[in-house]
Amino acid sequence: METQYVGKRVPRVDALDKVTGQAMYSVDVELPGMLYGATLRSPLAHAKIVEIDTSAALTVPGVRAVVTGKEFPFTFGHMIKDQPFLSIHKVRYVGEPVAAVAAETEAAAQEAVEKIRVEYEELPAVFDPRKAALDGAPIIHEDLGKYDHGNVYELVPGTNISTVMKYSRGDVEVGFSEADEVFEDEFYIHPVAHTPMETHAAVVQYTPSGKMLTVWSSADAPCQRAKDLAKVLSLSFNQVRFISTYSGGGFGGKGAIVAEGIGVALAHFTKGRPVKVIYSRQEELTASQVRLEAYLKLKTGVKKDGTLTAREAEIIWDNGAYSSKGPEVARRGTLTIFGPYRTPHLTLLSRLVYTNKQPSGAYRGFGTTQVTWACEAQIDIIAGKLGIDPVEVRLRNFYADGDPYINEQIMHTAGLRETLEKASQEIGWGQKKPKTTGTKVRGKGIATTIKGTNTPTDSYCFIKVNVDGSVTVLTSSVEIGAGQKTVLAQIAADTIGVPLASIHIPNPDTCSTPFDFGVTSSRTTYHMGNAICLAGQKVRRQILETAGEILKTDPERLTLREGEIIDRDAENQMTLKELMAKKYGGKGGAIQGEGYFTPAGSSLIKAKPGIEWMSSIFWMWATHAAEVEVDTETGVVKVLKIAAAHDVGRAINPIGCEQQIEGSVIMGLSNTLFEEFKMEKGRIMNDTLADYKVATTLDLPEIVPIIVESHHSEGPFGAKGVGEPALAPTAPAIANAIYDAVGIRFKSLPITREKVLAAIRNRKP
Amino acid sequence: MPGEKGIYMKQRLELKVNGQTYEVLVDPWQSLADVLREELGYTGVKVSCNSGNCGSCTVLLDGKAVKSCIMLAPLAKGKEILTIEGLATESNLHPLQEAFIEHFAVQCGYCTPGMILMAKALLDENPNATEDEIREGLVGNLCRCTGYVKIVEAIMAAKEKMKVTSSR
Repeated sequence: METQYVGKRVPRVDALDKVTGQAMYSVDVELPGMLYGATLRSPLAHAKIVEIDTSAALTVPGVRAVVTGKEFPFTFGHMIKDQPFLSIHKVRYVGEPVAAVAAETEAAAQEAVEKIRVEYEELPAVFDPRKAALDGAPIIHEDLGKYDHGNVYELVPGTNISTVMKYSRGDVEVGFSEADEVFEDEFYIHPVAHTPMETHAAVVQYTPSGKMLTVWSSADAPCQRAKDLAKVLSLSFNQVRFISTYSGGGFGGKGAIVAEGIGVALAHFTKGRPVKVIYSRQEELTASQVRLEAYLKLKTGVKKDGTLTAREAEIIWDNGAYSSKGPEVARRGTLTIFGPYRTPHLTLLSRLVYTNKQPSGAYRGFGTTQVTWACEAQIDIIAGKLGIDPVEVRLRNFYADGDPYINEQIMHTAGLRETLEKASQEIGWGQKKPKTTGTKVRGKGIATTIKGTNTPTDSYCFIKVNVDGSVTVLTSSVEIGAGQKTVLAQIAADTIGVPLASIHIPNPDTCSTPFDFGVTSSRTTYHMGNAICLAGQKVRRQILETAGEILKTDPERLTLREGEIIDRDAENQMTLKELMAKKYGGKGGAIQGEGYFTPAGSSLIKAKPGIEWMSSIFWMWATHAAEVEVDTETGVVKVLKIAAAHDVGRAINPIGCEQQIEGSVIMGLSNTLFEEFKMEKGRIMNDTLADYKVATTLDLPEIVPIIVESHHSEGPFGAKGVGEPALAPTAPAIANAIYDAVGIRFKSLPITREKVLAAIRNRKP
Repeated sequence: MPGEKGIYMKQRLELKVNGQTYEVLVDPWQSLADVLREELGYTGVKVSCNSGNCGSCTVLLDGKAVKSCIMLAPLAKGKEILTIEGLATESNLHPLQEAFIEHFAVQCGYCTPGMILMAKALLDENPNATEDEIREGLVGNLCRCTGYVKIVEAIMAAKEKMKVTSSR
């Protein structure tokens, strides 16, 4: 199909708002009578609360409410309902909210917080998930067995093991007996902060008369958060209203109730007055959520020619003190630890373990980043030991089109090999290394990833063609910064046949925009895109039928392009605006259509009965190739170039895809080389952006984004997704390049300058 | 909170923002960012770290870039303050704003006002800034979305346009 917008470098529809300072974020929401919230947080990692004295806080001028878990004894949790809005009886990490204040000014709220006295009885704490999983470890959630968890996950009451997952396919003993070599390696990946430039923030209003809870926030899945809150507060879905603002960055971090929770607790005690809660950068770094750290053991059997025969994986994931989306991150991540490779015999064991640390949650990649780190480093180790080119080992084991996935879903792998071929070609794979000059040594590394999307999930949309021919597209897909509005508008414009400029996509409001699973799992282009196609086709049909009536012709003879209705023989012509004026100009009216999309029922996700949930309606493939320069005197690793090839299905907006890839590469580089929490007794010591270092303009390598288009058979215009997978291969590509440069294998992240230098100095001469 | 005890004396302060003069009552400890956002409604000034480490709150003071979150508001007295809201004219966007749109230098947009104003200060001071000089000049402005690639491209493109505009 010929397109006007899809596939084109269409400027972002949100850019004008953003370059002029007009874009409204949750921190910018201001309402009449608005109060300001502040939070008292736990100084201890694990302690019983003996007593809280709020009397002095209540005397601070301007204070309107002081709330603790005693007054608001509710808990929430999207997967396991284990997290109190405000501590109940005990605290489980340094930074846990214990009490909150709402006051006329931020200063008054802060002053009151400092006057709250809490008496704690300290309990032994545990910070290493491997230790927390052992018998005899201090128990963090005594009531684990009683928590509501929807029976999706296997909990282990009486321990710190939040959830466990086991899976096997084939017979690993047989597989290992067929192997010529067996590799056993252990890897570690550290927790990192999302570091959105906009910290978590929300404005919450509860009107007791109508029992209406309204939340202004940039949460990435407003319908899910409304559903979560309605459930725990015994409200109906239509009594909880999420009004989305622009989001100042999320990266998964805004996929949970964070600042919203403090606001909700306070708003119940402010007699209808709205409360604004803005997390400070310190709160953002220490008391929001982080990427799950993980200890990963991989055992892999290989034939001499590099063919994988069997693989075993055992992963311990750190859940932190509360679950957030940890259970799903752990199981989704675990499933893809064997990468995009045929694995006839395999076993998986995943345990998600509570510790006395900041909660872990979704982080761009949803577990894929952690497992790709282990998988791709080990593939490199295998290639090195067997003396086979790392590119060759990958090609030899890649899923071929039609191969079964671990749950017997049939894989469609168009695009996979191309990502590897193009990335390696761009980096100059196999070319002779330049001569080392001085202390600087160069090396190249490569890594491939596989990422699915949570399947099946639903998206709905509603399209209105207004009386003047303008078009409004109602969805609950939040513009989290990744270009959602632009891509959806492009799809709508081409499907209906109207100019892009005539389309408006307002920010979501769960009271009026239809349900969407959320901007998560790289799913929006595919799922909401498909919903828009369905709704768009409906309104297009109605427009042409109406035009047929007015022009007294067969609608089959008519077409709509760029807002112009054209007859096949070009005899009749009218604009959509004229059509709408003729039909509805007098009394008003609109042409409307709805779209509902779910991949459920698609033949593409058929699998072994009972484990279809492991299937993905689309698989995203990506390969990154890195070239680094290691300074053997200082330990500094300079990333010179990263070629990043991504199979996106079809690039609805190629430059939008480039934005995702470039941004992920820098984030991946930053996570890998610079970012690290320094902790003492569970307290994060580097809680400012001066001490928690993220990449700057000076750390920018040459990045070459490469877009591969495999055209998904059921995707909107053939599209899949790109938001998450771009982060996963960066770390192993860099580590593999460091190995190529200096022969040192890093199995633990981050790879800081100090670690590199120490490893170089300890190297046997 | 009229009528309640414990209220500090506010100071009367005259500020010139985007060509307009305002008289505001400020607390002596209030930052310029806070006054611009909360008292005057210039919410294009974005606060992110509140400690001068990220550059989101960058505004121009007599043409020089400052981090308004760590500057006390009274220090801006008598100076011309420029926020992102004052950059475009009635009819035209500034070349930097145009370039940020054309070159896809915007994602979530939260760092964008600070980036654009920092770039303006850099190019006003050094109209022939090289790419390396621009990268160096932006080191105090963090962005988590874009990877900086398209931001640097946009500024390089705007540089040429700004030369043409200023030579007219």
